[in-house]
Amino acid sequence: MTAQAGTRAADAVVLGAGMAGLTAAVRLAEAGLRVVTVAKGLGSLRLAPATIDILGYGPGRVDSPAEALPAFVAAHPHHPYAAVTPGALADSLRWLAGHVDAYAYVGDASANMLLPTAIGVPRPSAVVPETMAGGDIRSLRCVAIAGLRALKDFHPALAAENLRAAAAAGGLALDARPVLLSPPTDGEADVGTLSFARRFEDPGFRGAVAAELRAALRDEEAVGFPAVLGFDQVRSVWTELQEAIGRPVFEIPTMPPSVPGMRLARALQERLRRAGGRFVLGAQAVGPEIRDGRLAGVRIRAGTRETVRLARWIVLATGGLASGGIEVELGGAARESALGLPVFGPDPGEPAFLPGYLDEHPMGTIGLRVDARLRPVGRDGEPVRQNVLAAGAVIGGARPWREKSGDGISLSTGYLAAGTILEDAG
Amino acid sequence: MTSAAISSASAAGQPAPAGRADGRIDCDVLVIGGGSTGAGVARDAAMRGFSTVLVERADMATGTTGRFHGLLHSGGRYVVKDPKAAQECIGENIILRRIADDCIEDTGGLFVTTPIDDPGYADRFIQGCKATGIEVQEIGVAEALRREPRLNPRISRALVVPDATVDAWKMVWSCVRSATQYGATVLPYHEVISVIRDGSRVAGAVVRGPGGELRIRAEVVINAAGAWAGKIAAMAGCEVKVRPGKGIMVATNHRLVNTVVNRCEMPADGDILVPIRTVSVIGTTDTLVDDPDDWPISRQEIDEMLTAGENLVPGFRESRTLRVWGGVRPLFQDEGPAETRDVTRAHAVLDHRARDGVEAFLTITGGKFCTYRLMAQDAVDAACGVLGTSRPCRTADEPLPDSGEQKFYRIGSRLAGRERTLHDEQLICECELVRRGALEEAIARRGAASLDDIRRALRLGMGPCQGGFCTYRATGILHQATNLSAAEANRALLEFLQERWKGLHPLLHGDQLRQAWLDDWIFQGVLDVEHLPLAEQERARV
Ligand SMILES: Cc1cc2nc3c(=O)[nH]c(=O)nc-3n(C[C@H](O)[C@H](O)[C@H](O)COP(=O)(O)OP(=O)(O)OC[C@H]3O[C@@H](n4cnc5c(N)ncnc54)[C@H](O)[C@@H]3O)c2cc1C
Repeated sequence: MTAQAGTRAADAVVLGAGMAGLTAAVRLAEAGLRVVTVAKGLGSLRLAPATIDILGYGPGRVDSPAEALPAFVAAHPHHPYAAVTPGALADSLRWLAGHVDAYAYVGDASANMLLPTAIGVPRPSAVVPETMAGGDIRSLRCVAIAGLRALKDFHPALAAENLRAAAAAGGLALDARPVLLSPPTDGEADVGTLSFARRFEDPGFRGAVAAELRAALRDEEAVGFPAVLGFDQVRSVWTELQEAIGRPVFEIPTMPPSVPGMRLARALQERLRRAGGRFVLGAQAVGPEIRDGRLAGVRIRAGTRETVRLARWIVLATGGLASGGIEVELGGAARESALGLPVFGPDPGEPAFLPGYLDEHPMGTIGLRVDARLRPVGRDGEPVRQNVLAAGAVIGGARPWREKSGDGISLSTGYLAAGTILEDAG
Repeated sequence: MTSAAISSASAAGQPAPAGRADGRIDCDVLVIGGGSTGAGVARDAAMRGFSTVLVERADMATGTTGRFHGLLHSGGRYVVKDPKAAQECIGENIILRRIADDCIEDTGGLFVTTPIDDPGYADRFIQGCKATGIEVQEIGVAEALRREPRLNPRISRALVVPDATVDAWKMVWSCVRSATQYGATVLPYHEVISVIRDGSRVAGAVVRGPGGELRIRAEVVINAAGAWAGKIAAMAGCEVKVRPGKGIMVATNHRLVNTVVNRCEMPADGDILVPIRTVSVIGTTDTLVDDPDDWPISRQEIDEMLTAGENLVPGFRESRTLRVWGGVRPLFQDEGPAETRDVTRAHAVLDHRARDGVEAFLTITGGKFCTYRLMAQDAVDAACGVLGTSRPCRTADEPLPDSGEQKFYRIGSRLAGRERTLHDEQLICECELVRRGALEEAIARRGAASLDDIRRALRLGMGPCQGGFCTYRATGILHQATNLSAAEANRALLEFLQERWKGLHPLLHGDQLRQAWLDDWIFQGVLDVEHLPLAEQERARV
């Protein structure tokens, strides 16, 4: 039996609470619309480095996403960026910077920074937390990569050696070396990223780290830390640590769970709450609710209970293969899991995966196709429904991890989906 | 690869192989092949006081032995069709339980008559068990379902036999440890490229290893190269027909059953479900292939395995499939049946003097994992004959290192160990409960630069996430614990990802696809491993 949750239709139901879903929901709620966000889990932001990468490789390394995008889109007509104008992209980036309170996001689409990953690869990113920007290898001369003994998800020696090699290969003189710190952890040998972030908010713990560092550092050395420098208080933790050691400090994203990703998720969830948006967690969209031939809402399942949520608009931001937004059966048949919209993937008969791990697997670009307003289209290229908009990784045509474009796509399409709805609302 | 030789000064005062510095080794017995058979032969020969060298082209147990179904047969499978093989199985089953308990999980086995099976087979089965000395007990269907609740409720009969499961890597490495304690030299990553002939005699082999070529001279050479035995024999100018019989297996991410479950029927495809540590493995198939190193796995074969699993455990198809892999059986066949299932599973020792007029050269082939000890005994007995001495075999009595106390491992063993060290040690692989200390110890012991070698020692990355979280950690630890350069560590990481991908991509769908994509997000999105700096020659290799 399906019950109906509330008789009044919401203005919009947003499915998914990752970067795309949260962006759309916050924007709509702040504009005064009645928005309900329905999400199975807390979204992929838990994994994300939380850098807004717009385009890092296409396929050669990109120095300026803004300059590279027109040619890139021309070469990839079904890429999600085909629906994003440069102006809209810039607006979405500004919008984001204005919505994260914990710290500033810096940078823009005109130039990529080259920030080290936890294994020491310089990775192109456009807009990043201020705590990370100091890691741009082109502005570094001398850096100590600081590890924490009890943190198994960050290996400073490997990162430093790789960073040195990568910088040298790029013609840069960068001296990088590891420093392993052993601040007190109450005897625990295995401390996770989140737990470290909490500990860094304790001035005593921070003091111990600073003291250990001061003894180990050389002159002029900047310090790269795993991104665990506090959670809510990241800005003060970061500033005070720099003051205490008298050196610039920057954060390096770690393996999941990602503290910067959780900071970003927290910031957007908090904005949503303040704007009066409703949030239904632990529930999953399982099908469209069709009335009089129109899409009137979605069917939602929480546990064994199924309800119907009526809405004028549905924003589909359920993610791609990694989040369950797109599901693939043995044999290759694929479906979009919430509304059953048409999916574009490898042709039948075409292999879905190639034998080399780093090959470009045909399955890699699977997802929906959308028109310029982000309405999912069918094989004929026409929108399937007038009142469904797709945002984020559920849209196919991209290789977000290869291109380093994931959060850029999610932010800009989430922002634009809300824009389409707001336009319509007048 | 930088795996060094594994050898030790002869603690027991046995003659150690001489030479090395000048690219030469002299020994009594040279064993070719580092699977269960070769490892068993090396141990047996060393225990009998022969100076012994074993060479293996890759890591130990990377041939068929590392790719099998994991079953310590009771012999039940062969009682009707191949009683000789059945008898060997039960004899060895009893011995291995005594000398190798640390490598065995005593799961017990069930033969069940499913709706597609001949109901009359069970009676022939019971008769066969009695004739070959296999303990068998019929239990009621309700009792079988109580023991194994996921089992197909439509089974009509259930028979209990002493099947068990066995950790091949543990067994092989235990043999290696024991062999080296008795003075043997074990050389993984040393490939035989030619066999040395002295007139009508085989006098050793030339091997290529990490440090270049080595000439190993021996009084007798034992070819234990499994499905590759024909190729080695050809190098010595002999013809041995070993037909590679390919079998595939599919692992699911749960332990669906706790007992080995067999269909009570003539051996067929996909008729055994084996619980191995945290997973269950359905298998297997049997198709002739031409080249033991090159054969495909088709989607249809995978599909057949899933259907077969469904017959034993309804809902099997919906469970999450982790990976698929295959191995090639060394089926010895001089002349005779073309269907591989009709070839006997018993083994044969070939003395090439009688057969081909080539002296001091033996081939041990056929057989099964669970009869490796007996195969080794027969081979070394034959070697004694060649060497003109008679020294008794002691492997049936002397336990392997860490065994001999009737302490079979259990599924909870690692968890229990983990709980004791919760606060002192990091957990590197959460799925398989691999502790940092165990990882560092394995790296030190192996001197290995390959994460895949470590995987086989510790089951690193073999659980549901298939290496998503532990690979980076293990690479960092490997880099620090050894004097590997970052470029070499990077290559180890990329090779490991490639190795994992090999078993994943043929059946990637559903939840496991989702997991694989999350893993890619970590590797490509977060770490950017595509742009890891590699030395030029390493980039070419990956
Ligand atoms: C699908 C499948 C499932 C099975 N299931 C079971 C089971 O459940 N229970 C059971 O008891 N048995 C089982 N078997 C049988 C068992 O796995 C094999 O009989 C056994 O592992 C063979 O061991 P081996 O040492 O003879 O061969 P291998 O393990 O193949 O060893 C031969 C070695 O020789 C090496 N080699 C080859 N060429 C060279 C060279 N030129 N120089 C140096 N080294 C070389 C190879 O690399 C290889 O490591 C199964 C077999 C298959 C295929």
